[in-house]
Amino acid sequence: MTDVDSLRPLAAVLAAALPIVAILASHRRPNVREGWSVASALATFGVVASMVPGVLAGDTYVTDFGEFVFGVDLALRADALGTLFALLASFLWIITTFYSIGYMRGLDEHAQTRYFASFAASVAAAVGVAFASNLLVLFVFYELLTVATYPLVTHDEDAEARAAGRKYLAYTFGGGVAVLAGIVLAYTLTGDVSFAAGGIGGLGSADPTLARAAFALLAGGFGVKAALMPMHSWLPDAMVAPTPVSGLLHAVAVVKSGIFGVARVVLDVFGPETVADLGVGVALAAVAAFTLLTASVIALRQDNLKRRLAYSTVSQLSYIVLGLGVGAYDATGLAMTGGLLHIPAHAFMKLTLFFCAGAIHVETHTDDISDMAGIGRRMPLTMAAFGVASLGMAGIPLLAGFVSKWYLLLGSVAAGYAVFAVALLLSGVLNIAYFWPVVYQAFFQTAADADTKPLIENPFGGKATPSAVAAREDDPANPLRPDGGDRDERVTDDEETYAVDRYPSDHRGTDGEAADGNAAREGDDEHHGYDEHEDPDHHHDHGGGPPAGGWERRGFGDESTWFMLGPISTAALAAIALGVVPHSAVFLRIVDAIVTGVMG
Amino acid sequence: MIDLLLTRYNYVAVVLLLGVGTYMLIENANLVKKVIGMNVFQTGIFLFFITAAYAEGAGPPLVGHGGPYVSPLPHVLILTAIVVGVSLTAVALALVVRIYAEYGTLDEDVLREVRADE
Amino acid sequence: MSDVPALLVALPILASVLALLVGQWRPRAAWAVAFLGTAVQVGAAGLLAARVLGGETVRYAVGDFAAPYGIELVVDGLSASVALLVAVVAFGVLLYSRVAGPREPAFHAQYLLLVAGLSGMSVTGDVFNLYVFLEITGLAAYALVASGESGRAAVGALKYLLIGTVGASLYLLGVGYAFIVTGTLNMADMAGTLGSEIAYTHPAVLTAFALVVTGLAVKSAVFPLHTWQPEAYASAPDGVSAFISALVSTVSAYAIARVIVSVFTVEFFRANPVAQDLVVGIAGLSVVAGSVLAVTQTEVKRMLAYSSVSQFGLVVAAFAIATERAVTGGTVHLIGHAVMKGGLFLAAGAVAAATGARYVSEYRGLASRRPFLAGAVAVLALAMVGVPPAVGFVGKWYIALAAVEAGWWFIAAVILSSTLLTLAYFARLVERMYFASAPTAAAGTADAVGATPDAAVADGSGETAEAERPGTPDRVTPGVVALVVAVAVLSVALGFAATDFAQLLRPTLPELLAP
Repeated sequence: MTDVDSLRPLAAVLAAALPIVAILASHRRPNVREGWSVASALATFGVVASMVPGVLAGDTYVTDFGEFVFGVDLALRADALGTLFALLASFLWIITTFYSIGYMRGLDEHAQTRYFASFAASVAAAVGVAFASNLLVLFVFYELLTVATYPLVTHDEDAEARAAGRKYLAYTFGGGVAVLAGIVLAYTLTGDVSFAAGGIGGLGSADPTLARAAFALLAGGFGVKAALMPMHSWLPDAMVAPTPVSGLLHAVAVVKSGIFGVARVVLDVFGPETVADLGVGVALAAVAAFTLLTASVIALRQDNLKRRLAYSTVSQLSYIVLGLGVGAYDATGLAMTGGLLHIPAHAFMKLTLFFCAGAIHVETHTDDISDMAGIGRRMPLTMAAFGVASLGMAGIPLLAGFVSKWYLLLGSVAAGYAVFAVALLLSGVLNIAYFWPVVYQAFFQTAADADTKPLIENPFGGKATPSAVAAREDDPANPLRPDGGDRDERVTDDEETYAVDRYPSDHRGTDGEAADGNAAREGDDEHHGYDEHEDPDHHHDHGGGPPAGGWERRGFGDESTWFMLGPISTAALAAIALGVVPHSAVFLRIVDAIVTGVMG
Repeated sequence: MIDLLLTRYNYVAVVLLLGVGTYMLIENANLVKKVIGMNVFQTGIFLFFITAAYAEGAGPPLVGHGGPYVSPLPHVLILTAIVVGVSLTAVALALVVRIYAEYGTLDEDVLREVRADE
Repeated sequence: MSDVPALLVALPILASVLALLVGQWRPRAAWAVAFLGTAVQVGAAGLLAARVLGGETVRYAVGDFAAPYGIELVVDGLSASVALLVAVVAFGVLLYSRVAGPREPAFHAQYLLLVAGLSGMSVTGDVFNLYVFLEITGLAAYALVASGESGRAAVGALKYLLIGTVGASLYLLGVGYAFIVTGTLNMADMAGTLGSEIAYTHPAVLTAFALVVTGLAVKSAVFPLHTWQPEAYASAPDGVSAFISALVSTVSAYAIARVIVSVFTVEFFRANPVAQDLVVGIAGLSVVAGSVLAVTQTEVKRMLAYSSVSQFGLVVAAFAIATERAVTGGTVHLIGHAVMKGGLFLAAGAVAAATGARYVSEYRGLASRRPFLAGAVAVLALAMVGVPPAVGFVGKWYIALAAVEAGWWFIAAVILSSTLLTLAYFARLVERMYFASAPTAAAGTADAVGATPDAAVADGSGETAEAERPGTPDRVTPGVVALVVAVAVLSVALGFAATDFAQLLRPTLPELLAP
């Protein structure tokens, strides 16, 4: 491992951060603005990618600005683990940028300038998190990431979005406080918070109780963003955000920054050996195992597609944490490899799923799974990608999820904790249980002959209330659903219009005309209050679900704009590539480099 | 105990003045009386300093006539403090005049009611 | 050169008189005098700071009466930084007041007098002299608060005066006790006598400490002695509340630090751990209570005032922990808070002038109407919350670190969770500015303006509509907006500079904290 002084880590952060100004400045010209977004995404990816060969060869790129506070340098450092995360975030940002353009223009969203600027800021912060050279710098970017994503969560500007935003801030800043407390404690114990492969020396010999407390604070604090139970509940609520935001930030950048924090703590602050000695690894793994099973069960009962995906995220993230926790006891490094590889694997698959959900929303305004029977006719490519990604989630071979889960299983057994392997397998079954119905009914059922869904429609305890079933037959939009986002949405509908749904769903394409329309739109959108519900123009039938005659049939590629289909296919293909040729896809090689670096 | 009170009556007076001043400040609704309370409170402190200036068996630095003598320094300090106190009173009274001109009352409770409508 | 400390006090007093005289002849000239005066003040304080930051201490015997008999001005790194802060903030707020007023010569005279009092408090090395400057500061501040047009300002000022005087008097009483047992008023001399000739556990010493700290705590508005502060800040003219909020409590908190580290010294705490527990405990209470009260406020300026109560809890806790790192953190936070809070009050004033919004609910949709002001408020608020790398974070980091190192677990928890408490009240503001659209009433009155312009301007929301109407001359100049934005940028930039600054303080502090 050689340290190379280089401005490239800084350049990667700046490549994402500086164009924010340009994006804000060109708010009157949407095409120029989006041009900046794309350019900045490409530039960031380019800079990060340029470091990959060096990092694989064992180099570490360092940009050091000197002391930030006493004893802690303000420095960026691109090592293997950081590069893994930065590469993932910046690559997916490119895809998401194109998708965002399609999505935001397709829905004629308001405040798009703020959206794109916040997006760039979030990615800049995520790259900063990746390249932070010590806990404090990581914390700096971690908090900035919270601030930058807040406008995205609250994008809709209605009561529900604001409530979600408030919850998001409270949870993540709460986690931030715990992280800060952990950093302070670690600094007090060792006088050093810089990352070092294999851990900071002093922590192993420090007072075990205090060291455990520091670990609990750090892992717990990062665990908030990683959506470990019981600190997960902000994530499903944050699904009110526009879908690209849910996709990139809530399946990739934000939650993964939490995971990344946990990984740094386990690998580079405490080091696997100390984690094992302190006995905290198994505790972390136990929390993760509990989370991944419970979240899967909850996901079964979610009717809103995005909420179901959110609980799936909660569950899948815990695979990674499980790998990190168990990995401390596993001398072969297999569990660690599996956990870390699951970071990109899950990212590609979950992004595909979210993109599909978003495409369905833009095209048909359908959000609930129970309205999606037969939708495979309307959106064949989208639903095919959805099927591929959900199979990958369940860990079917030849898809991304399989490789990482395979390593995880082997590692858990090798570490002597076969019970976690059982949990993993059980969760795989649950994965199928909550994803398969979506795919199945999309292709093999129609709205008319859809099966009933007792798990979703009936109340807890299994007693079907006849009235509920009858009500549903009378009125497909009946709000009597046990849980899930749908009921909430309808409650708010009485008072306010859902910002996403205020605008007609007909898609306008991305030609100049639409862009001009957006510009004009944005101007007067500033005055549209969420409480302006009496405007008759905005009252249209916005219930999702199939049109009267069932879903029309469309061919591959006709279902939506290629601004959305392109990213969907790219992400899905990448998920397949990760499963078929994991060694050619660069991520596994980076992961190997990380694990070798830590395990020696 | 009684003995102590009789030989240290100055301090008793200090405590009484401080107590009376504080009580007036807090309890009296009339703004002018509050200002008077503030003055009484300060007077207690002045007396405290003057009392403390007395030193057993003190003598003048150069020429003396038998005493008793006190330390001049606290007197100088209190002279300054009195000046400060006077200016404070002046500002306070000016404010009271303005409040009266604005609201037509000096009673704190009435004032609160009037201002509740603002 | 060695006369500079005296100039720091004498110059603003002279300028104050001059401003009053010149103002009789030509009212607008008073501002120019104040401008020149504060500019020279910045230069003098900067000169002094450049000299003493690094370890040297400048002593100046007033009237050539050598200490401990005469009054001594002592400038070390700590006091020079506060003096420089006073000068810079005075200069900045003066620029703002040129646009926002008040414009009377009397205002500028009082303003300069306040600068003199604050500078005096920063540089004095004599406890009684500190009392005099405390009262000069107080008198000028009372008068400034009352310089608002409304009756409300007079009531706020009178309340401030009564409580402030009691605080200063308690301080004086404490000085009396200390004087009786030590026979001296010079800080260094008193510190030398305490502990060697008089035991730290002597009842009179304890009483003196309690009274002095309580008196100064009243002045720096630590809970539960804060009751004067919200009304005074809220009723004062905007420029005045920015100035007072940034400096008066700050310098009083500095005085607490000075009394703790330079007069009673750390040894006093070692001999009387209960005293330290009490001060730290009350400071912690202040952090929590101030935040809770801030959350319940509807008026922006009152909310900011309660926020100060909370932040000063942090600062006082840091000074009471009294390790080198804690005092560093306390000083960084003291200065950082002055910049951030001053900036927030300036921004609140500018927003009120631009849109008439004074209540949290009226900030709805501000971001779309006033993007720069809203952005500055958001940045300052986040800096105050302690989002790194802004200066609010750096201070908190040092204080929390010191608390953990010294084993104050409870207070460490309070300090860390103060992030969330602060977020609780600032998030309301940010959320309303960015994620709620302007009240529909504004749109309604905007229509009404077309029909009956007079009716619309008469009520409160009419002002909003008026400011938005194209062609209406704006009451907020670009200069003011630029000033507010500059303060916001400064609050972030200071975060990076804070460690260099702490480095400069380093030689000063061990000397102060050495047993």
